[in-house]
This record gives sequence, structure tokens and C-alpha cells, in this order.
Amino acid sequence: MSEPMRILVVEDEALILMQIEMMLEEAGYRVVGTAMTAAEAIALVHETRPELVLIDLRLGDDSSGVDVAHAVRAIGGITAAFMTANARALSDDLEGATAVIAKPFTGAVLEESLAYLEDCVRRPPPAELVPTGMRLAPALLKSFAQMRQ
Amino acid sequence: MEQPDAWHLTDRLDAEHGKGDPFAAAVRATRMAMIVTNPRLPDNPIVFANDAFLRMSGYDRQDVLGRNCRFLQGPDTDRGAVALIREAVAAQRDIAIDVLNYRKDGAPFWNALYLSPVANEAGEVLFFFASQLDVTDRVDAHLQVQKEKDHFEAEVARRTRDLTEALATQTMLVHEVDHRVKNNLQMIAALLAMQTRAITDPAARAAMESMLTRVEALGTVHRRLYQSNNVERFDVAEFARDLATDLIRGSGTDRIRLHLDLETVEIPVTKAPPVALMMNELITNALKHAFPDHRAGRLSVTVAPDDRHFTIKIADDGVGMPVQVMEQRSFGKRLIGTLCRQLNASIAWQANDPGTIVNVRLPRELATGPEAR
Repeated sequence: MSEPMRILVVEDEALILMQIEMMLEEAGYRVVGTAMTAAEAIALVHETRPELVLIDLRLGDDSSGVDVAHAVRAIGGITAAFMTANARALSDDLEGATAVIAKPFTGAVLEESLAYLEDCVRRPPPAELVPTGMRLAPALLKSFAQMRQ
Repeated sequence: MEQPDAWHLTDRLDAEHGKGDPFAAAVRATRMAMIVTNPRLPDNPIVFANDAFLRMSGYDRQDVLGRNCRFLQGPDTDRGAVALIREAVAAQRDIAIDVLNYRKDGAPFWNALYLSPVANEAGEVLFFFASQLDVTDRVDAHLQVQKEKDHFEAEVARRTRDLTEALATQTMLVHEVDHRVKNNLQMIAALLAMQTRAITDPAARAAMESMLTRVEALGTVHRRLYQSNNVERFDVAEFARDLATDLIRGSGTDRIRLHLDLETVEIPVTKAPPVALMMNELITNALKHAFPDHRAGRLSVTVAPDDRHFTIKIADDGVGMPVQVMEQRSFGKRLIGTLCRQLNASIAWQANDPGTIVNVRLPRELATGPEAR
């Protein structure tokens, strides 16, 4: 068995953060850290080097998840995915992130989305059908399509 | 009878010859202000001015004779207009132009000036003839209209700007509220999900799970809201796809195949939550009762427009609704009844042999209110 996927969760609503953390652990993933502000998140990204970072768009201290996504992109080799109720505020390239999961999501959608993201990280390309409520960066969709050929 | 060379007599105005000339007499007596200048003298001075001109300008004859016309100009005279007149004189062309002039007492007036060169047979320009008409009333009225128009346009621009700003604020507010509603629904779902995990009693746990799927169904409505271009309409078909996929997936089994037959049906946004909750109850019921003991099967969801109504059909090929379930006054059944009442919907349960078909027929528009036409 391979090691469980290492995930950093960035979310400023404590309840939602707690639910995601519990769900991830129940599904067998390893939560390497949680952050509620962009500064905390960026420090943790460098410190823990996760495989996947789940990022809320609006964070504590009026900071933005976009800055976290940019920091992740600058490091390279780490997959980022937004979870937000404000997906339309994101640029087309998703600020370098792989995907955006629309809030509110159901437990089933989150599980399915994570399984899909795990395929993106560990076994690309993922399946052609993108889960409900999830949107992928166009550049990635294209490169996954090329990988499937 | 007019003399054939009569007009020549006016050529010699400066010779004081035209006194008996009928043309000169007319020029002297007319109420139209007229002057004649002589471009062959230095600075093109006035050599003749009629009484009308003197009345209009307020000057005496000795004030004006021998002077260039520019004394009529004043502080607010348009320099561009003066330049045009000067060009016309230099080019020996005629010109008609409205120019702001000043009387001797300093009072401004709008002068409709007509200026034209007078040449002899050799083509040599001997005089300039100028007629003036006080058109202050006309120009003022025109300027007043222009001023009112400018003011009106500025006012319209200001109001448009205000409205644009108000709309931007309102749009921002809607997005902000939308964001908060979604986040709050996510938090309620998080609370229910976490509490459910901690419950060991199967009945209590099942009840909590039902509540969670209801909250999640409302969350799915809000996720779908504002996704289409029309913020006032909600597409039942797209929602049905999300909901059914999600519920099958949430049932944690791959024994049940989902069949979707969806046609776009747009309903007013206010109807979306009750429609969503009703579909959630019907699909959840089918998944709960039709396929006991790990039975495999097929669930089919149909959304179709039907004139001014639309139908939602949930069909399974399971064991059929047990009579006890059909007759019991469960919370789920009461919920469905209440939602049907709100939506003015009719609902029918039928045997599918095997399985059950539930048919719901709903009006597309609101029964009352401004949207129902």
C-alpha cells in the first residue's frame, strides 16, 4: 500500500475546516496541517510540503486564498484546489490551481472530488468525467486530454 | 424707369453723388443697418453708415466715419468669428456670420453680419458693403436652448452615473449575501455531518442523515443559483442531474444504476427550494425502500415540460412501496404533502411492476403574483 496522500487544508471557518479534516481522515488521507490565514498557510506549505492544498478563497485577517495559490505555484510540484462559494471571482487559469470545488458541497461531492484530485496527483490523467460541482483549469484539462491519447 | 447705369451711381457714394439716387436714398432710409467701407484707404475705414446703423450701434456719424469696424468688437467677441471676417475681407469673398458686438454704451448685441465686396467691371474691389441685423433675441434664445440642453444632458449623465453606481453596489451586495448564504449552509451541513458521526443509535443516526441530505439539497439549490445567465430562473433539469447523482453516490453503493431523462424546465427562483426538497424526499425514499438487502436495480429520473406545467417522474424497479410505508404518516410523507400544497402540485404513486413510479405535476409559473401572466 502506498502512503496516504498528504493534504494541507486552508479554511477560515472553523466548523467547515473541522468537517473537512474529519472527512479526510475518515477517508484515509493524511492532514499534514490546517491554516486559517494566507500567511499561516504559506508558512505551512513551505514547512510541510504537502501533495495537495485545499484553499478557501476568503481567509482570516482579510487575506486571500489567491496568495496561497500563487505561493504554491511558485514552489512547483504541489497541486492546489480552491473550495469556494465565490468561484466566479477566480481568474480563468484559477491562479495556478488545478481545480475549484463549488461551495456548498455535499459530503458525497467532497469525497468524489478528493478521489478525483488524488488521481490528478498520483495517477494522472484522471477520468474524463469531472465530478459535479468541480471545475478544472482549462490548461490542465487540455494536458490531461493529451495524456489520454 | 430705371436707368441702365443706375447702380453705377452708388459706386460713387464717396463723391457725395448719390443723394438723388433712388438706391442710395433707400440705403439711407432703410431700417436695416448698413455701412460701406473702402479697402483702398488705409485700414479699410467706414466711408458710409446709414441712420439705422447709428441707431443700432449708438454712435454718432462722426464717431464711425473713417474708422475700421473693429471698434464694434468687445471682450466677449469670438476671436474665431473675427478671424473668419478678416479672412473673407482679405480674400474678397462675401460672408454671413453672427458675431457679438458692443454698442457705444458697452451693451453687447448679437449682430447678424452680411459682408460682401463690391467690384467694378475690371474686377477691382472698390468697396465692402455690410448689412447688420440685431439678432440678440434669436441668438439668446438659441443659447438658452443650448444651455438647457447641456444642463439636461449633464443631468442625465449624472443620473446615469448614480444609477450605475447603485446597480454596482446592489450587485456586489447580492454576491456578498449569496456568498454568506452558501457559507452558512456549508456550516450547517458541517455541524449535522459531525454530529451524525458521533451518534450510535441507528434510528437517531438515520434521522440525522435525512436532515443532512435535506440541508445538502438546499445547498445544491444555492450552488446552482446565479449560474445561469438569468438570475430569476432556475433550471430544474440541471438541478435534478446534480441531486440524483449526488444522492446515489451518497448512498454508498454502485448497485443502483441511474437513468436520467431531462429536458430543460425553467421555473422562478422562489420555487426552487420547495421543488428541490420534494425531489430530494422522493429520490431518498426510493433509494431507502425500493432496494433492501443489497438489491441491485435502476432508478430513473425524468423532468419534462408539459404545456404550462411540468412533470417530475421518479421510477424504480425495486420491491415496490410496502403498504405500511404508503400508509404511515411519516415526517417525510408529511413534508412531501406540505411541499405539494405550496407548489400547487398533484402527486400520484403507481405500481411500476416491479417497483414504484411517482409522478408529480406542477405549474411552471407562480399561481399568483406579478410573474403569473
